[in-house]
Amino acid sequence: MSTTTAGAIAAPSQAGGKRKAAIIVGLLILLLVFPALSLTGVPFLQGLASQANVDVIATTISYALLATGLNIVVGFAGLLDLGYAAFFAIGAYLYGVFTAFQVMPHWSGFWEPLQMLGLVQKMSIGGADVVHFTLSFWLAIPLSALVAALFGVLFGFPTLRLQGDYLAIVTLGFGEIVPIVFLNADPITNGAAGLNGIQAPSLFGYSFGVNSVPYYYVAVVLIVILTFVSIRLRDSRVGRAWMAIREDEIGASAMGVNLVNFKLLAFASGAAIAGIAGTFYIAKLQTATPDMFNFNVSAMILVMVVLGGMGSVWGAIAGATVLSVLQFWFLQDLTNWIHELGTATGIGFLNKLDLVQSIDLIFGVILVVMMMYRREGLIPAVRRSPNLNFDAQHAVVHRGGFIGVERLGRYTVEQGNALEVSDVTVRFGGLVALNKVNLVVPSGGVVAVIGPNGSGKSTLFNVITGLVQAESGSIRFRGEEILGLAPHKVLEKGVARTFQNIRIFPNLTVLENVLIGEHARLSTGPVGAILRPPGTRAEEKRAVEWAKDIIALFGNRLAPRTAQTVSGLSYANRRRVEIARALASRPKILLLDEPTAGMNPNETLELAEQIKDLKSLGLTILLIEHKLDVVTRLADNVVVLDHGEKIAEGPADEVRRNEEVLRAYLGRGAGVSHAA
Amino acid sequence: MTGFDLFVQQTINGLTLGAMYSLLALGFTMVYGILELINFAHFSVFMVGTFVAMGALQSMGIMGQSVILTGLPLVGVLLVALAATMTVCGCIGMGIERFFLRRLRSVKGPAQMITTIGISYILSNSVLLFIGGQGFNFPNPIPMLKYHIGGAVMDVRQPLIWAISAVLMIGLTYFVQSTKLGKAMRATAQDPEAARMMGVDVDRVVLTAFFLGSAMAGAAAVVFGLYYNYTNFYIGFDAGLRAFTAAVLGGIGNVPGAMLGGLLIGIIETMTSQFISTNWAEVVIFSILILVLVFRPAGLLGRVAPNKS
Repeated sequence: MSTTTAGAIAAPSQAGGKRKAAIIVGLLILLLVFPALSLTGVPFLQGLASQANVDVIATTISYALLATGLNIVVGFAGLLDLGYAAFFAIGAYLYGVFTAFQVMPHWSGFWEPLQMLGLVQKMSIGGADVVHFTLSFWLAIPLSALVAALFGVLFGFPTLRLQGDYLAIVTLGFGEIVPIVFLNADPITNGAAGLNGIQAPSLFGYSFGVNSVPYYYVAVVLIVILTFVSIRLRDSRVGRAWMAIREDEIGASAMGVNLVNFKLLAFASGAAIAGIAGTFYIAKLQTATPDMFNFNVSAMILVMVVLGGMGSVWGAIAGATVLSVLQFWFLQDLTNWIHELGTATGIGFLNKLDLVQSIDLIFGVILVVMMMYRREGLIPAVRRSPNLNFDAQHAVVHRGGFIGVERLGRYTVEQGNALEVSDVTVRFGGLVALNKVNLVVPSGGVVAVIGPNGSGKSTLFNVITGLVQAESGSIRFRGEEILGLAPHKVLEKGVARTFQNIRIFPNLTVLENVLIGEHARLSTGPVGAILRPPGTRAEEKRAVEWAKDIIALFGNRLAPRTAQTVSGLSYANRRRVEIARALASRPKILLLDEPTAGMNPNETLELAEQIKDLKSLGLTILLIEHKLDVVTRLADNVVVLDHGEKIAEGPADEVRRNEEVLRAYLGRGAGVSHAA
Repeated sequence: MTGFDLFVQQTINGLTLGAMYSLLALGFTMVYGILELINFAHFSVFMVGTFVAMGALQSMGIMGQSVILTGLPLVGVLLVALAATMTVCGCIGMGIERFFLRRLRSVKGPAQMITTIGISYILSNSVLLFIGGQGFNFPNPIPMLKYHIGGAVMDVRQPLIWAISAVLMIGLTYFVQSTKLGKAMRATAQDPEAARMMGVDVDRVVLTAFFLGSAMAGAAAVVFGLYYNYTNFYIGFDAGLRAFTAAVLGGIGNVPGAMLGGLLIGIIETMTSQFISTNWAEVVIFSILILVLVFRPAGLLGRVAPNKS
């Protein structure tokens, strides 16, 4: 099982983890010895481990593979894919086309090297020499993963800009198109009749043929590997980035997650697993028709993921298992019982019911019931937060700034300005949100932006951090143009921000939220996440230490709640998490958008002192704030915006007396009455 | 037939098919306009409608293609079938909203949409289980009259279908544009919260949208049955997906857009079948869906929705 620090912290207890490991090992041993029961000589056990049952379990595992893959796309990254069977089909047809007796070009010298590699055979049909493809199953598995992943990127690309529902529809469209293409590509796929005589895999000269046992063991090996891969991905920088996208796309990109790359990576990973499942499934079945990959299959896999719990690795497997048991064993028995009941009671209607045929009805019921009553699934992905004891719950109000702020280290104050905003104009349709705004933030300084609601303050932050495009102007950070960069690029340069309406990731823990802040400063990719070489382990360990250091700055406000999901935190604590997350990204400038909004006077004072601490360490800060006492206390310089224009600038006291500022805040005539 | 005759013929056929898609697309668009929800249950409400219409016609003694009516009796029978189907479908739609979706309205994420997929499965597979999986001969009391337009042929059912669709769509447009409830509906689509504060009963508006949208699906079901003389438990998926494409093409949430999109998709389907191949019609339609969503998500008539985040 997973042993990341993040996982270990979240685990309820060491004993619970051990019990879980014991269950998994036990199940695995059971799976491994199951076919051997047929050798025991005990009639009951022999019946249990019949070829038919072994085959059904192998099929069940192929569904579990699909569910594991879809769970990465839907559960981790939150991309609702309704056409997942397309990738299953691609993996299936890749192996099918290159092993069945369907595509048989004329033999020529070109094929000889391939013949030596064992990829083709020379056959003679009606006196003519033709090519018969004999792609090895073991080669086809990685190949179909690769090809399906490529199609995953191809299909994923146009959907990147779409959100939620639209994404579902486009993937549904692709899911419809792919089987139709296979249906219509008659010369290659044999159309509706499908491919027949697909080659059975063989190992060391032993052909699997129609014996279920070797397929069973291949399935077990595949599911073990892919579950491992799935867990390793989940508990890594990659998995955190996916979950950040799922929870809040804008927040994720502002914290340095490259949306395009990570969404495509999710699509590709899910597709690769479906491709593998397709090759395996078809090698076992030795026949493939287009209708094996229609919408119903995509929907079934989705039902499995939903039933098990979206985002839960074990849930996906459990969902696949439950539905397969229902489908392959229980429904047949149930139908027989109902028929017997019909015969016994003389109700002819009961005799006609065939529940096996109506498995889809049960799928529908499961979807509705789960959504209405248990959206987190059978095995929820979100672990229950441990309860806090009284001491932990009791807020210790702390004066005098951060606790142990020196842990952050000193920020180097450079010569000149950290941020220079020049003549920036932003327009939304006909509305001018910012009109030729100029602003400088000297390195190591604190500048506050004030102004009435709707004056363009948050738009200013959005345009600096790349969330909004400017019509004209320039934004230079440490002398470098950052206007036009994607949000994650802006963060990489060292510009971190918080949001006025808090954009933390609600279903993730405090620690995970802060770790996502470090995303841009870490380098683990999918391969590192899966293999977890020493370098990756060390990086992850350092990342968690840094995150905990930052969490500890807030004293007992956050430290006891490290493993709690942030959705359950108080408003002020959620603001603190967002600030901690921004600090975790090791910013060179921090943009705080109304950090004290909604806080009571005590909490406001506490935060103001903490911001002052950051200032004393030399961190450059740009602040939007309504509370003028906070502004006066912190800011070296104040910029006033009104209707998208800068109307005043200067030290806080000066700005306070500025007539135009008073007019903007209090209305026309206010300045005059003040003067009088 | 000459190439031009074929073109005229497929335009006639396409407009007929398109009229049906328009009716069906209206349901998607009305619900999406208000709740931003893709209602997959709509597929199956339409399918159930064909069975309701079939039952209504059969209960009036019209079996298969053997009973042919003319004049007032024909009009009466069709009106009764339409009214019955639209009412039943409308009520199913309301039930789906009232008992399932309303409880999930405040839930973020895909829960509502997944629920509609589930309901769609339940409806279609209940028909499979309790009525049967075979194809059914849909009764048709309309006489076989054909008009020749150049080399093309028009069946009397085609102008009849246009007339039914036109009347319903004009009625719906009038309702949405000119009645108090229609105005409340448009207000809710703009901003549910503001509408609620202005005294709009949002629950009632949503329920009405489901009723009207589903009733239109019922009308589409009658049209489908009369035109194809056939139904089975899975017709909802293909027709529904095309109608959804129509709604997206016209600009989802936009009532005239759904009508325009439906007609376009109908014509695209018949033209592709005629001039390329029936096998590729679906691929062409879904490719249009994907292209529109990627390059012009607002559709032909829709405006770009403000970013709600």
